[in-house]
Amino acid sequence: MTKRVFMLPLWIRLWHWSNALAIIVLAVTGMSLHFSDPALPLVEFSLAARIHNVAGVILVGLYAVFVIGNIVTGNWWQYVPKPPGIIQRCLRQMQYYGSGIFKGEPEPFPPTPETNFNALQAVTYWSIMYLVLPAVIVSGLIFLYPQFSPDTLFGLDGLLPIALVHYLGAAVIILFVVSHIYLGTMGPKVSSLFKMMFTGWYEH
Amino acid sequence: MIGHFRKTLWRILVLLAVLAAAPALADDPPSPDELAKIRTGNAACMACHSEAGLKKPPKEGVDLKALRKYLVHADTYAASDHGQMACTKCHGDGYDNHPHAAKAREGLSECQDCHARKAMRIERQFDKSVHAENLSDTFTCATCHDAHTMALASKLRDPHKIVAQDNKICLDCHDSDLAFARIAPEKKKRPPIDDIHDWLPNTRLHWKAVRCIECHTPAEDKLSLSHEIQNKDKAEKKCATCHSANTSLNARLYRHLATEEQHKYGFINSVILGSSYVVGATRNPTLDFGLIILFAATVVGVLGHGLVRIITTRLRRSKKND
Repeated sequence: MTKRVFMLPLWIRLWHWSNALAIIVLAVTGMSLHFSDPALPLVEFSLAARIHNVAGVILVGLYAVFVIGNIVTGNWWQYVPKPPGIIQRCLRQMQYYGSGIFKGEPEPFPPTPETNFNALQAVTYWSIMYLVLPAVIVSGLIFLYPQFSPDTLFGLDGLLPIALVHYLGAAVIILFVVSHIYLGTMGPKVSSLFKMMFTGWYEH
Repeated sequence: MIGHFRKTLWRILVLLAVLAAAPALADDPPSPDELAKIRTGNAACMACHSEAGLKKPPKEGVDLKALRKYLVHADTYAASDHGQMACTKCHGDGYDNHPHAAKAREGLSECQDCHARKAMRIERQFDKSVHAENLSDTFTCATCHDAHTMALASKLRDPHKIVAQDNKICLDCHDSDLAFARIAPEKKKRPPIDDIHDWLPNTRLHWKAVRCIECHTPAEDKLSLSHEIQNKDKAEKKCATCHSANTSLNARLYRHLATEEQHKYGFINSVILGSSYVVGATRNPTLDFGLIILFAATVVGVLGHGLVRIITTRLRRSKKND
């Protein structure tokens, strides 16, 4: 008999999937712009630039929803890795992913309505959402309004450091997305966590 | 047909004349003494033809309204391509005394008097340009190129300075109804320059970073940029022409710098980075490679992990069933 517990309110699910869509669109168009090659365009440059700008502004809006929603509902507390033993719990989680799961061991810190994330998730999500994504958003906004970037820096164009932050931050987010989607299969069943992201109910 | 033949004959004659005169034209820069003499001579012209001269004309009866149209800035002139030449080199007969002779302008030297070979090459390009098509009678070298201020791109070197000089020429007419109407054919209305370029993101910033002619000339002349200015039908509209590893900017705005350091700090087209970060053109292949490897490793990593999970789950199941 499976047990059901309600975990995710509608606003978080709506935010999550719109955010996911925006990130994927930005990643595809961003790669088209950065690796621009007239011979084999992923998305043609001017089209990619237009879509990237629109999706970027939407992402800024979604980020505002995320921050405000978290403050209003108190959901921000979920992202705070709580002592004691954060490092031990992270190591325990890694050990589970590295070997325990292959032996059929149970998930060491299954999600509960009080604690949605295991320690490793909390640390990763916090870093992505409050460090990396803001860096990408701010550098992206400067890219959108390059007149606000410094003219020159160390004898090179002032946009270069902005571009590097944007590029490296985006790369970290793309790597996160790949791992995040895969870790989504680590529920009680391969589909459990995806189902939860749509319905809000965790079945175990 | 006869006109064409005459034109060709004229061109051959000019070419022969130039070749014969080539040693004489390949002037060395003037010696310090000569230059001092030139500057003294020019100062006599500048006594009137400068802001100071306009404010305080050295003699009475100067037509100030006319003079205002013919001012030369001494420093700008000195830095220009013709800056070491005497005014009288071009302004010959009729300019010696004041007031200048009524028909003095007719005796003004033409550009091709000195730049014959260049003029022939350029004329062939110009004949195909949108300017020739619409205004062939009135459009001359001097419509765009002010001989008192122009400096060659190879001399300016700094892309920002080249862009500022060259785009000013285009925008002086194409961004001003007044100036446009002065030379445009009757009834031709000036297309609003921002509106027709609204497809270009950060339009005005583009115009600070690259020249109009980057897109509005064909890329065929190896010696310099073509003078075949093209309208929107033929102009370049593909962003990736500049925004790619093999950027055309190297053959255009950065042609005089393209031989310099190209891989500073590991960036391709790094010479462009000194003045502009060009998405797609100024990349660091080492960084790109590292990140692609990292991405591939992550994908292979999760797929491998998934595969091991599937295998171990099956093994456990079959063990349970045994």
